[in-house]
Amino acid sequence: MRGRVSKGRARVACKDNRWIFELLDKPALTNEFTDNRNLLVAEQSKAGLCVACKGSRMLCGKTRCPVVVRVNSFMRTIPLIKDLDIDGVSPPSVFVGRIGYPYVYAGPLVPPVHEDTSLYDIPELWFGKTIDEIVGFRSMLIRGKHRVHVRRFEEEGKIMDMTRELALASNATDTELSLKKKPRGLIVLNDDIQPFGPSAPIRDLRVASARWDHHVEKAYYDLDLKATPAVLGLYKNGVMVTKIQRAFSVGAFGIKQQRRLVPTRWSITAVDSIVSKELMNKVKAYPLINEYRLYESSYLENQFEVLMIPDAWGYEAIEAWYPGTVWNPGGKNIVMYGDWEGNEGRTTYASIGGCYYAARLAACELLVKERRQAMVIVFREARPGYIMPVGVWQVRENVRNAVRQHPLKFSTLEQALQRISSQFHIPIQRWIRNSRLIINARTQRKITQYA
Amino acid sequence: MTDAKLLRDMFQAIAILIDEATFKLTPDNIQLRAMDPSRVAMIDFLWPKTIFDEYECDQPQKMCVNITEFLKLLRRTAKDEIIELTLNPETARLQISITGHYTRTFNMPTLEPQEEETPTPKITFKATAKTTTEGLRQAIEDAQLVSDHVRIEVDTEKLTLNATGDLMGATITLKKNSDALLDLQTQEPSKATFSLSYLAEIIKAASATSEIATLQFANDMPIQIDFHQPKEGKLTFYLAPRIEVE
Repeated sequence: MRGRVSKGRARVACKDNRWIFELLDKPALTNEFTDNRNLLVAEQSKAGLCVACKGSRMLCGKTRCPVVVRVNSFMRTIPLIKDLDIDGVSPPSVFVGRIGYPYVYAGPLVPPVHEDTSLYDIPELWFGKTIDEIVGFRSMLIRGKHRVHVRRFEEEGKIMDMTRELALASNATDTELSLKKKPRGLIVLNDDIQPFGPSAPIRDLRVASARWDHHVEKAYYDLDLKATPAVLGLYKNGVMVTKIQRAFSVGAFGIKQQRRLVPTRWSITAVDSIVSKELMNKVKAYPLINEYRLYESSYLENQFEVLMIPDAWGYEAIEAWYPGTVWNPGGKNIVMYGDWEGNEGRTTYASIGGCYYAARLAACELLVKERRQAMVIVFREARPGYIMPVGVWQVRENVRNAVRQHPLKFSTLEQALQRISSQFHIPIQRWIRNSRLIINARTQRKITQYA
Repeated sequence: MTDAKLLRDMFQAIAILIDEATFKLTPDNIQLRAMDPSRVAMIDFLWPKTIFDEYECDQPQKMCVNITEFLKLLRRTAKDEIIELTLNPETARLQISITGHYTRTFNMPTLEPQEEETPTPKITFKATAKTTTEGLRQAIEDAQLVSDHVRIEVDTEKLTLNATGDLMGATITLKKNSDALLDLQTQEPSKATFSLSYLAEIIKAASATSEIATLQFANDMPIQIDFHQPKEGKLTFYLAPRIEVE
């Protein structure tokens, strides 16, 4: 989502790293944990503040320590891992890594519990949950890893076949995962890694026979159907975006010779991009909205303001991180990122990453539903309470929630900006200065004004 | 008509602003007047029937085609091939035959024509400049290096393009009676600011059809760029200005 470069990382086992060690000395946790101390590995960024802070002084400016939150949830998962065989119900969920591409680690995510776990991998249902709940159940998911070439996954054998089978399943599915080693949790003392459970290489994998969603199944067996129409067809049939993304990542779509595994992160953005591009083309044919509209939503300390301007389609997303609040009163270090596109769309990857496309999808969904056209600007203010990134779904669902509300309507751009100003901590001038589309809307005249 | 290339160049210029074009066909000529989706720029195009070797149209009618799709077919033509367009009103399809060493015939659907008429902007211009399209294009490309908009100023002696970017600035001067600026008539000095992306695309595409352009200005008013056609016909663009606030 954003690039913070950490210069060199030192990997230290937990017992060497005093402060996590101290953290683990809380009596409630230690009892269960003493035998498992080696299962947790801490990775620290040399440049980081974490070692000095030790989760108590909040030097990073966040309201809570993300590392403590993560360690706590690991503590609850690790006792559940009895041995090398994980027997549980997968939501279903799979993960394809991106490190080492084209040789990537692919495999299932299995929680060591027997209950309906389907919620664990349907971000569409997560909106409103607290960060602890989300990190809690995500940490339960133990990741099996199997190294495979993205193009040669078909010949890989049983483990890969089973992983794909699982990815296409429509319901939570009984899964037996045998690992080569005890799964280890990795805690990175850095703030841009998503919450994650422990992981280990796979020895064997068994998946109970599962029912597939029949739309997904049809696309999977159609070896002449390109990936783009496959994705669009599924979306049209009401298949959830995250389900399409999961199937997309295991190479289930496309012309036979061109199928490949797609790292989970990339497949999420690919599907957001494909679907929203199609919706954009529809939007461009609809009549303009009649007024300036503002949709608002706030969740996980992310404040979204979605501004719709009665003008031809155009889109911009701007996000600000760690604004001039208690932790950064001088406002010197507000970081703002933005990217935009005009009426003809874009051909290069948006510099701010996946959230650009996720928000574009959510905004287009509303316009298509209402059969209206507008110029859309999505403003996002991420506050210090947003202690760790939880994934792009947060942006998609937050904007979806915004456009579900009744919009505030204004007759001028300035009135709408005034309202945005009242909702944000960062002064509106800074947002305007960074917004190409607002500068344009204010300065560019229309030829119709001279008729 | 015998010059398929001219048709292709003209459609490429039209495609800069619009995807779907509603042409007005009359017994004497073919016209198009349309705005881009953002309503910032406008094109005014006319070809008299004499441009064509043969032209038949009994009664005025409208024809709407997807320019992008049409251009795909036109790109398959070579320089001196003969092209014949036939509109079939019953099937609402346009037939395109291209004859060179061999003949190929395509047909494509026409679309629902736009009923809305695009009015011509009413502006009293204060200055007129005659430039070569090549000189104009170079000047615009220079300005694009530093900014995405440009202020165009004219006085009695010269035409100046001023671009100010975040870091760099540029001033490009075209003197009266130079190779680039053939003529300049100024009633009163005027200036206006325009989006460079529009200007650059319009001038680049239109210069394929024309070597000389006449620019007309007034203070903070749209610019009119008239591209002189070597044969007959008219190709004129209007572009609305940017007005700086604060």
